[in-house]
Amino acid sequence: MARQELDGPPSMAQLFARAALTARGRGGDLPDTRIARTGVTVEAARLAEYVRVCRFALGDTLPVTYPHVLAFPLQVALMSDRAFPLALPGLVHVRNRVEQLRPVGTAEPLDLEVWADTFATHRSGATVDLVASVRAGGAEVWRSRSTYLARGATAPQDAPTAEVDVHVPPLDTAAAQWRVPDDAGRRYAAVSGDVNPIHLSGLTAKAFGFKRAIAHGMWVKARALAALSGRLPDAVAVDVGFKKPLFLPSTVTLSTASHGAGWDLAVRNAASGADHLLGTVRPV
Amino acid sequence: MTAPRTRKAAIIGGNRIPFARSNSAYAQASNQDMLTSTLDGLVARFGLQGQQVGEVVAGAVLKHSRDFNLTRESVLGSRLSAATPAYDVQQACGTGLEAVVLVANKIALGQVDSGIAGGVDTTSDAPLAVNDDLRRVLVQVNAAKTLQQRLKALSGIRPGQLVPDIPRNAEPRTGLAMGEHAAITAAVWEIGREEQDELTVRSHHNLAAAYDRGFFDDLLTPYLGLTRDQNLRPDSSMEKLARLSPVFGRGEGATMTAGNSTPLTDGASVVLLGSDEWAAAHDLPVLAHLVDAQTAAVDYVHGGEGLLMAPAYALPVLLARNGLTLQDFDLYEIHEAFASTVLSTLKAWEDPAFCKEKLGLDGPLGPIDRSKLNVAGSSLAAGHPFAATGGRIVASLAKLLHQQGPGRRGLISICAAGGQGVVAILES
Repeated sequence: MARQELDGPPSMAQLFARAALTARGRGGDLPDTRIARTGVTVEAARLAEYVRVCRFALGDTLPVTYPHVLAFPLQVALMSDRAFPLALPGLVHVRNRVEQLRPVGTAEPLDLEVWADTFATHRSGATVDLVASVRAGGAEVWRSRSTYLARGATAPQDAPTAEVDVHVPPLDTAAAQWRVPDDAGRRYAAVSGDVNPIHLSGLTAKAFGFKRAIAHGMWVKARALAALSGRLPDAVAVDVGFKKPLFLPSTVTLSTASHGAGWDLAVRNAASGADHLLGTVRPV
Repeated sequence: MTAPRTRKAAIIGGNRIPFARSNSAYAQASNQDMLTSTLDGLVARFGLQGQQVGEVVAGAVLKHSRDFNLTRESVLGSRLSAATPAYDVQQACGTGLEAVVLVANKIALGQVDSGIAGGVDTTSDAPLAVNDDLRRVLVQVNAAKTLQQRLKALSGIRPGQLVPDIPRNAEPRTGLAMGEHAAITAAVWEIGREEQDELTVRSHHNLAAAYDRGFFDDLLTPYLGLTRDQNLRPDSSMEKLARLSPVFGRGEGATMTAGNSTPLTDGASVVLLGSDEWAAAHDLPVLAHLVDAQTAAVDYVHGGEGLLMAPAYALPVLLARNGLTLQDFDLYEIHEAFASTVLSTLKAWEDPAFCKEKLGLDGPLGPIDRSKLNVAGSSLAAGHPFAATGGRIVASLAKLLHQQGPGRRGLISICAAGGQGVVAILES
């Protein structure tokens, strides 16, 4: 296993450009590389912007989804590297599970490590999992698993079958309705660093085969969790499947139902009823 | 029909976040952020997670129009049960204490068994309003039914209207800043620079000593990196304060500086109240009871009275109703909007002519033992996020009285914009 430690966050725009230029001719198995950063501190101003865009309350612990923003650039670095078998442009985020083992203080220095595993076969291509682990004070405090789908790609022989569905019981009642404006992607890109062109404008999204810009799945997830502020277990797993793309602008509904000490969630299009996100919140 | 039996509301405890100087540590925090965090701190301290209290009452002086339901929204984002009702109040700097009185009165009448009262203010994340002329044009545009009407309405926009209305700490009817009003009162009562600076130094030293002995350990939750009030200067001294130039008042007689006036501050505070039975059932302490309270208002526009002098009028009513004299208290908490405000109020109570002519008393209320005044510091040192000051004072005074033992009595006096004042009695 190769371990590569970065001094600072890589430039996302450069990584996306490199990934686009080197998209062709990729293949093979997943690299056995881990990318890490140690002693990462959260910038208060950036966190405040993130909190505002996702509608969390500004406090002394990180929103459950925030460590993803810290780890994601490292995952992009891994995926844009030539050794990564799938082309980053066109990868679709189809599932994300985060586990917060305890609330993480905003002032705690964090050690991040990311890697890829579980190259799997999917009915319309292949999936790969990008994993992140965050440690503080010598113990793991947060981890996540993001599943990306590459349409038309082929997983290695003997690869397992992808598990991309999160099962929730029927959720019929809408708890809230959100109007998602057409700049929602640009706003989340600015606070998360995820400048994937499919989120930024209609024009750049069209270049990648989408009819309009689409909202970041992790923004939809964060905003749904923000709606449950004060009602989440301290140690919690949030597992969501991203279904139909949320085209911008849109009006969507959030449905919630309590499930023991946790919740079931659905974000759907207000007009068509199409599922954008289905998820579960469970104590761990 | 018999008169309903009343009971005295118990003050069980409180929580606040350290107060931050304007545009500093809490620059990114909204009123809702601060109030939610402060509620969650109280919930954690008293084990109220997921529980319903009778009511949460709080408010803010500087409030965005989107925050019309600020307190209820904060409750919904907190760890309290979502079935906890809430409402907002606003009585300028009297907001926090008035909220305590409202909750205590419902407890006294048996309408609720428990409640949380408090307040929050930010001068950093302050609401800016659209210039009023522009607002009128936009209202017309919105009301227009045809494109032609809309264009005609839009033609009323002028470049100068693009400058927003910025909230000022000034009285709408006089156009004077609160400090300018206080300077007039200080001149009337001949309050000197030195006595103002002395009061200021004492406030800083008392607050610093209270922090050092751990007094705030169960009254305060750190927030956004602050563990103490940002305005606190433990090394404050007469020499340092003497170097400051006056900022309010004019000419030779100007005595009020940035040191002996409270700075603009951000912060929040809440107080947990309940009946004695509710406290016992939840295995919670009773620090003190709210005995009684009184508000008053003065005509500071045309009536010749000082803007911040209303508490001087509220107090004799409260004393008479409770059969007490000004000297019957073990502790006094007089909100330090400005050092000169505290001193003007005390001087008025000692003045035979004022007490006779203005308060209608036979003689002066007399002096107080200054060693019992603001013994754990007050707003000059801690800062004064308008609506958060009442909760800070009530929780601190209740704890101070409790520490002295049962049967101790404390007086709170808070002046407010609009020529209003709130006074209250606590007893351990």
